[in-house]
Amino acid sequence: MKRVPVHILAAGLAGLIGLSSIPALADDLVVGAAISLTGGLAYADVPAQKGMQLAIDEINAAGGIGGKYKIELKLKDSRSDPAQTSVAAQELIDDGAAVLVTPCDADPSIGAGQMAQAAGVAAFSTCASSPSLPLAVGDHMFTNFPGDNVQTTVSAKYAIDSGYKNAYLLMSPDTSYTMLPNYFKTVFEKLGGKVVGEDNYSMGQQDFSAQVTKIKSLSPAADVIMTGAYEPDFPAFIKQLRAAGITAPVIGSDGIDSPTTFALGDVAEGVVFSTAGFAAPGNPLDAFNKKYKAATGSDPDTIYIAIGYDLVKVLEAAVLKADSVDRDKVWAAVRELENVQGATSTITYKGTDGVPLRQVALVKVVKGNRELVLQEAPDPALVPAPKL
Amino acid sequence: MAEMEILIQQCVNALSLGGTYALLALGLAVVFSVLGMINFAHGEILTIAGYTVFFAIVGNVPPILIVPLALLVAMATAALMERIAFRPLRGANGTTLLITSFAVSGILQMLFQNLISTRPRPVPISASLTGAFNVGPFHIGVIQSLSIFATFAMVGLLTLFLKRTMLGIAIRAAAVDFPTTRLMGLRANRVILAAFAISGLLAGVSGLLWIAQRGSVDPLMGFLPVLKAFIAAILGGIGNLTGAVIGGFFLGAIEIGLQAVLPESVQPFRDAIALSLVVLVLLYRPQGLFGAAHSVRP
Repeated sequence: MKRVPVHILAAGLAGLIGLSSIPALADDLVVGAAISLTGGLAYADVPAQKGMQLAIDEINAAGGIGGKYKIELKLKDSRSDPAQTSVAAQELIDDGAAVLVTPCDADPSIGAGQMAQAAGVAAFSTCASSPSLPLAVGDHMFTNFPGDNVQTTVSAKYAIDSGYKNAYLLMSPDTSYTMLPNYFKTVFEKLGGKVVGEDNYSMGQQDFSAQVTKIKSLSPAADVIMTGAYEPDFPAFIKQLRAAGITAPVIGSDGIDSPTTFALGDVAEGVVFSTAGFAAPGNPLDAFNKKYKAATGSDPDTIYIAIGYDLVKVLEAAVLKADSVDRDKVWAAVRELENVQGATSTITYKGTDGVPLRQVALVKVVKGNRELVLQEAPDPALVPAPKL
Repeated sequence: MAEMEILIQQCVNALSLGGTYALLALGLAVVFSVLGMINFAHGEILTIAGYTVFFAIVGNVPPILIVPLALLVAMATAALMERIAFRPLRGANGTTLLITSFAVSGILQMLFQNLISTRPRPVPISASLTGAFNVGPFHIGVIQSLSIFATFAMVGLLTLFLKRTMLGIAIRAAAVDFPTTRLMGLRANRVILAAFAISGLLAGVSGLLWIAQRGSVDPLMGFLPVLKAFIAAILGGIGNLTGAVIGGFFLGAIEIGLQAVLPESVQPFRDAIALSLVVLVLLYRPQGLFGAAHSVRP
């Protein structure tokens, strides 16, 4: 038997592989997602991806965006590693992505965003809330979550309106919410409040006895405590704070919008936090939650799922506006978007530097359930400028 | 609060944090003393104990059984690690064992993320554990006192076990000279398995205390405790059980002390300063506070 040369076999094999992956049609919107399915950011990116997938399935089942453009999602696990995120981003851009999705944190998003910026591709972080991210990258970088500065403008104003005058801030240099309490401080002081103490903690240390002892000895005593801490630090902190008999109200951020907070029992009673949305009967987030439950059989356990859905709704609106899936046209259309109805809020990019105008919900923990305190978009004049 | 009261309160804080670190370090040291390896997958035993509590609560297991169940699972996990990952490599050099333990840790973390959830799972702890009681002007948290109590209880039990039981004496002998111990007719597998089971029990106890503080279990939560345990064990003199306990308390005291005295502007450097202090100690005592090679004096 005559032997078939290896290179012919290889060519045949390559041809077969080529055939098996059906190339995207010219009219498909190719979304490249370099997000973290494993590692330290998976807690946020995996839910966001579920929300994106729900929106994509829904749109494609209805015949695509405007009945014309189907969405093709290309997913690469960036393993919560900034270097790996950049590699994945470059591969996706080379592979024809018209839009890039980056992880829920500024650090990996900056590297990947710069790739997108150079290639003229619009990039969206799934749920990073640092308002300085677009500044660090350029006009092709967008965030998708209420910025830290926007969230804390709402919570600081609420603190002042509630009559609190002396705040204690607990922050950490090594969490995703580094600057958050600082933004709170800026607004709180601008509105006449005073910061009577602040402390740092190391992420994951789980011991706040030293800080709690300090809070107890503050003079004047703090009548409100604000922190950017989230799991596992926040539950440890609030337990030790309440165990020490300190009853001052506590304000947190979207980081504690998690089932753990609601399972803490008495110690978490009355905690107020800012987040992206609130499900009231009949509103869009409520409708989304029901849709998600129907599709997956379980209730959404985090707001990041709805946030992922929002991201795709923004892309849908941009493609509709551009009537094209060309990356330049899509990008230009994103910058002109106004009042896109997402699951959590209406979303506007027009006139912003890439951080969307969104509403912020303040939620209070009442008997293990969520209760809406207020939902509003803050006065833009009060919102502090992003700090790098 | 008066200065003196704050000082005493911070001392209680240091004792409680140090106790948790001591338990963690002891778990690492037991295995190290016998096998000469640091098991970096020790943290994942804490995680598994946590998931056991989570699933036990979901599955309506009677509360009284949850703690023993979690400890049993932790011991079984450690024993399985030994059987599956480390026994086939018996006699390999230390680096191989070290890398293997990293691999076990990484594989378990991926399994938790893919099979359970990437999100933290809430572990509701009964309110009686989150409270505090007053002794004079001092607030002492229930979990705080539990961790101090658990540390002393575990150290006491371990000492009894190592001094009074055949298996315990065998472990001590193996720590001094394993080949000779085997020549005496003791089965290596039993001794090593026992060391792992003890380290699993210690990990289970510290895991429960850790979970009680944080209120949730997370696939990646094992890393930090094992890091602290490693530092404490090195500080105390690696392989020395007394040293591990003292190292744990020492590390707890440094961390609480710095948190209490450092001004706000220097606070972000607290961990760097704490670790510098550790390095300083090691410069003067490279073998650690209690380190003499191959000694087990609990």
